[in-house]
Amino acid sequence: MADAAVHHADHGHHTSTGLSNNKLGMWLFLGSECLLFGGLISTYMIYRGRVGEGPRPGNVFDIPFTSVSSFVLLMSSLTMVLAVAAAQKRDDRGTTLWLTVTGLLGATFVGGQVYEFTAMYNEGLGYTTSLFGSAFYTLTGFHGVHVTVGVIMLLSLVAIIKRSKVPGDKAEVVELVGLYWHFVDVVWIIIFTLVYLIPT
Amino acid sequence: MAIIERPTPVTEAALPAPATPTRTFGALRRPVATTGWKSWVFTVDHKKLGIMYGVVAMFFFIVGGIEAVLIRLQLAAPDGKVLSADVYNQMFTMHATTMVFLFVMPMAAAFANYFVPLQIGARDVAFPRINAFGFWTLVGGGIIVNLSWFFGGAADGGWFMYAPNSGPVFSPSNGVDFWALGLQITGIASLTGAINLIVTVLNMRAPGMSLMKMPVFTWLQLVVQFLLLFAVPVITVALFLLSFQRNFGATFFDVSAGADPLLWQHLFWIFGHPEVYILILPSFGIISEVLPVFSKKPLFGYPFVVFSGAAIGFVGWGVWAHHMFASGLGPVSVAVFSIATMAIAIPTGVKIVNWTMTIWGGKLNFTAAMHFAIGLVVLFTIGGLSGVTHAVAPSDTQQTDTYYIVAHFHYVLFGGAIFGLFSGFYYWWPKMFGKQLNERLGKANFWLMVIGMNMTFGPMHMIGLQGQPRRMYVWTEARAGEGFFNIAFWNRVASIGSIILAFGVLLFLINVWKTARSKQVAPLDPWDARTLEWMTTSPPKEHNFDAIPTVHHLDEFFHRKYAQDPVTHEIKQVATAEDIVREQEANADKHIHMPSPSYWPIILAGALPIIALGLIYAIPVAIVGGAIVVLAMYGWSLEPSTAPDTDFDPPASGEGTKELAPLG
Amino acid sequence: MIRHSNQRSGVRMSKSVRRIVATAAGLSAVAFLAGCASNAPQDTWQPKGPNAQKIDDLQKPVFAIAGVVGIIVFAAIAYAVFRFKDRGQPIPEQTHGKPVLEIGMTILPALILAGIGVFTFQTIFDLAKTDDTEMVINVTGQQWWWEYDYPVQEQYGITDPIITSGQLVIPTGTKVLLRETSRDVIHSYWIPALNGKRDAVPGRVHYLRLEADEPGIYAGQCTEFCGLSHAVMRMEAVALDKDDFAAWVKGQLSLAASPAEGTLAKEGESVFLNQCVRCHQVNGLKKADGSPAIAAPEDNVWSGAAPNLTHLMSRNTFAGASWDLLTKECRKDVWGASSEEFGAKYLTGVTEECLNQTDLRRWLRNAPAMKPMYADPTKLEPTDGKYRGMPNLGLTEDDIDKLVAYLATLK
Repeated sequence: MADAAVHHADHGHHTSTGLSNNKLGMWLFLGSECLLFGGLISTYMIYRGRVGEGPRPGNVFDIPFTSVSSFVLLMSSLTMVLAVAAAQKRDDRGTTLWLTVTGLLGATFVGGQVYEFTAMYNEGLGYTTSLFGSAFYTLTGFHGVHVTVGVIMLLSLVAIIKRSKVPGDKAEVVELVGLYWHFVDVVWIIIFTLVYLIPT
Repeated sequence: MAIIERPTPVTEAALPAPATPTRTFGALRRPVATTGWKSWVFTVDHKKLGIMYGVVAMFFFIVGGIEAVLIRLQLAAPDGKVLSADVYNQMFTMHATTMVFLFVMPMAAAFANYFVPLQIGARDVAFPRINAFGFWTLVGGGIIVNLSWFFGGAADGGWFMYAPNSGPVFSPSNGVDFWALGLQITGIASLTGAINLIVTVLNMRAPGMSLMKMPVFTWLQLVVQFLLLFAVPVITVALFLLSFQRNFGATFFDVSAGADPLLWQHLFWIFGHPEVYILILPSFGIISEVLPVFSKKPLFGYPFVVFSGAAIGFVGWGVWAHHMFASGLGPVSVAVFSIATMAIAIPTGVKIVNWTMTIWGGKLNFTAAMHFAIGLVVLFTIGGLSGVTHAVAPSDTQQTDTYYIVAHFHYVLFGGAIFGLFSGFYYWWPKMFGKQLNERLGKANFWLMVIGMNMTFGPMHMIGLQGQPRRMYVWTEARAGEGFFNIAFWNRVASIGSIILAFGVLLFLINVWKTARSKQVAPLDPWDARTLEWMTTSPPKEHNFDAIPTVHHLDEFFHRKYAQDPVTHEIKQVATAEDIVREQEANADKHIHMPSPSYWPIILAGALPIIALGLIYAIPVAIVGGAIVVLAMYGWSLEPSTAPDTDFDPPASGEGTKELAPLG
Repeated sequence: MIRHSNQRSGVRMSKSVRRIVATAAGLSAVAFLAGCASNAPQDTWQPKGPNAQKIDDLQKPVFAIAGVVGIIVFAAIAYAVFRFKDRGQPIPEQTHGKPVLEIGMTILPALILAGIGVFTFQTIFDLAKTDDTEMVINVTGQQWWWEYDYPVQEQYGITDPIITSGQLVIPTGTKVLLRETSRDVIHSYWIPALNGKRDAVPGRVHYLRLEADEPGIYAGQCTEFCGLSHAVMRMEAVALDKDDFAAWVKGQLSLAASPAEGTLAKEGESVFLNQCVRCHQVNGLKKADGSPAIAAPEDNVWSGAAPNLTHLMSRNTFAGASWDLLTKECRKDVWGASSEEFGAKYLTGVTEECLNQTDLRRWLRNAPAMKPMYADPTKLEPTDGKYRGMPNLGLTEDDIDKLVAYLATLK
């Protein structure tokens, strides 16, 4: 995702903003992602009441279950912080440990989402059932894909660190993945609040 | 007081020791060719990529131009028989799509790629491989969009692709699928390009170049990249919703399921209106460079031009619904958007005033570039003023979706955006290729285009105000009115004009061809220019500058060449461009480490059209494409952006090497 | 030094600028007059009712202001181009601008636009009023024609709903409110002489006010791209004075009478019953067994509707107002009629000698060849076998003769 450092950053040249190119690039990418999720969330908010013949949101949501998986995802942000801290201390063992835990927590969340989707589908909410269904699966599906990509990045990073093949500054690469991971978590908090907690 | 400043020579001690070389872990050995086609295809050099952007954009300009001429041939007479209704609808859809996404945007990207790093005194962009990826992605997207012509017909819903007319029932061919996926891919190109250029501008300016000493072209490109950064994801969402509806049966725009077709319009125009500024601001930037150079004066009111550009960027987000005044929004929304739209006329007006005041009191040299720049100011003013007439929502309900709007945005986009790009061609050609385009042909090119453009689009004001709607494959004598100057007359004039316009563009191509064959080398600083990109050889070396200049002034290069006599206030030349470049060479940096070419960008970019074709025809193909994406990403991540020092000849750690060539 | 030369030029400017302004103004006036003199039926600058008039009162001054601003800008540029050409003058002072001028040139257009804004605001809300409505007509768009449905409104003698198409008939001096929607894609209703356009969006109802001052016929056209035959999706609004309107209503409420036995028209009726009635309703038409013939367009057409033909010959157009039912001469006679004579001429309908046989026969012979439609029976998979438009019915010339004779009776 993030391009490895070019010459200037490689050599620790100072940049005009003080942020490294990679980090600034990641922030900009996440800024753009805000609009992507903004569009999807707006679409959902407009369509969530349009259930047609299909089930209503209240009928298919299992809020206690989703609360637990949300908690799991939130905890993964904490472990990500620990991973970044370890990376900055050049503690490779700590870094890989916490990255692995973060990845597993993320994978648990994705697993929960798969379970949740299956349950909803069995209760009669298919992708094409109603506008609510299309909008719900599209929004949460997009988020799920983001989490999955994050998990893949985390676990790949673990493998790469173990074989010490990180191009460029190791701590920075961990931090970049961390930025992405926190963003995905924050988006989930917004989705969870708007989609699950606010009644239609 | 002399305004010449000697750049502080960068001493070797200031250079940090090269990093310990890491081994290349990518599956492929790095491409190393420095000549031949491989040196282009795998390049990560922003200048080569800029030229390739330009070539591809020019190709699509010709494609879109042919589509335009066919449209005008069809409309030259009542009940035209040149095209069928179906083909005509595809034609105007693809004309707009091509011109917007595949010509003006890539051509602006060509200039941005080539000149933003040079103007800020950088050696390349922040992410050279992403830059290459962006270019090849654009090519892939363009191919996908246009492939539809050969696979059962192109998209036929207009470039705005309003739902539900774009749905599977109303547009059963695969055209819309190709269109949506193709634009999705070009969107990736725009997004990566935007991130890249923003980081470049924010992080990689030469020492001393504060934001308010940045050339205006770079400034406005920065605004454009921010607009892209936030506008592209919105169209991405819209295109996803459309594709999911067409391919997976989602119900987003299915009215029978309770969908609201206006959702598409909001999403499209939230992207679409910033898009208008994405198209025009680069050209504003170009002429903000050209007018000062050929007036021998700094841009009048530089901070006002910069801030009005930023203001347009901001307000541009709050006016999207003026495309929807007739779509039944309700009077409150209409009133609010109407006023907001008028507000955006103010910063635009500021720019016109500044350009006029820039040439006012100057020492004007009417080169071809200057012709196009002044042409832009005049023609854009016409388009801007007709824009004010439909900011007034009630009169817009008479004008929208008529030829009056077609006239308006062609004055803005042809007279504005395209004239700016042509100004850029003539201005920067010697920089890019070391040869000057023929000035006499250039002026002929200008006048043919001015006459052609006014004959084509001027009459459309009349056609529209007399009530002819847009997007009609035929018009009828019965609604054309009486008298000599009726709609029929103006339609004929417009069609003749389009032929003249086409000859104007042809003249440009002839000029390019003649220049390429000519042996005459352009002087180093043919226009007596003002900004950093001219402070190096033409074309620039791979590393752009032998020594990164330290900037003290806006228009640094001019200030190094000229000084004002403290007594007589006369401005006198104190140095030539050759002096300055020679001095730079003498103080050249010792270790210039350029990013190395890579296979991964084109491999990753090439996988995207495969996915798109797979989504349309066979999911397994898409999975293969996806697998290539994953593998390419791993290969990419594991490949250091710069080849290790030991890969170079002479080795990078050696003494006295200026330009490092990878081992052959 | 720079300032000095500016002052000098300032004096010289006024004269030449005035000349340029006068020439430019003259030229643009000529161009405009030439443009407006053509009397095109959809001209947006010739309002024929209070709503369009309000828009016109707003837009003409805006055009004038824009024109004046344009002329000033062009004059300034033209002056600078001629005056400051490089004639060997010294390099000008490297001045970076005059903030006072800049701020002034920001405030000035802001003030002008604020002025325009106030009137714009007022007009927007004026045109959105619905509480003074005197008559309601439901307007439904579909590919590629408009249906008009007059709900029961006793005060106009509309005691039963009237369904018609092609031409919208309204009484003069009456505030008519159109309730617009669509059965398939987005269309837009636009009669330039009476008001601006308003989109007809499926799933939504939008309002548009129409009011005509004088009896007459006002042309319009669908202005939202709606697919294949968007270009020929036309409409006409016909304004009749109150008495004529009452007469029209009376005519529309009558049922179609069956032609006399043994006539060609009677044979045509059976062709109609065999073919056309699948989609097209004719009120009063009876099957051979005496039961009423009910059209079922919902089974055959994607939009679920086809024009009601009960009073086809009372309107001057067919096929979504794409073609005239009147011959050229007769059409000219109606369109050119004075406002006093217009009502009578319109209510005459299409007489035998005025019927445009050429186009009507061409249509019956092969409709999709005339107006592109999705009517190829082999390509109806996306629409579950339903047509979008009218298919080629494969009628023989004999059938067409009969059918034309029958249609001519639908007064």
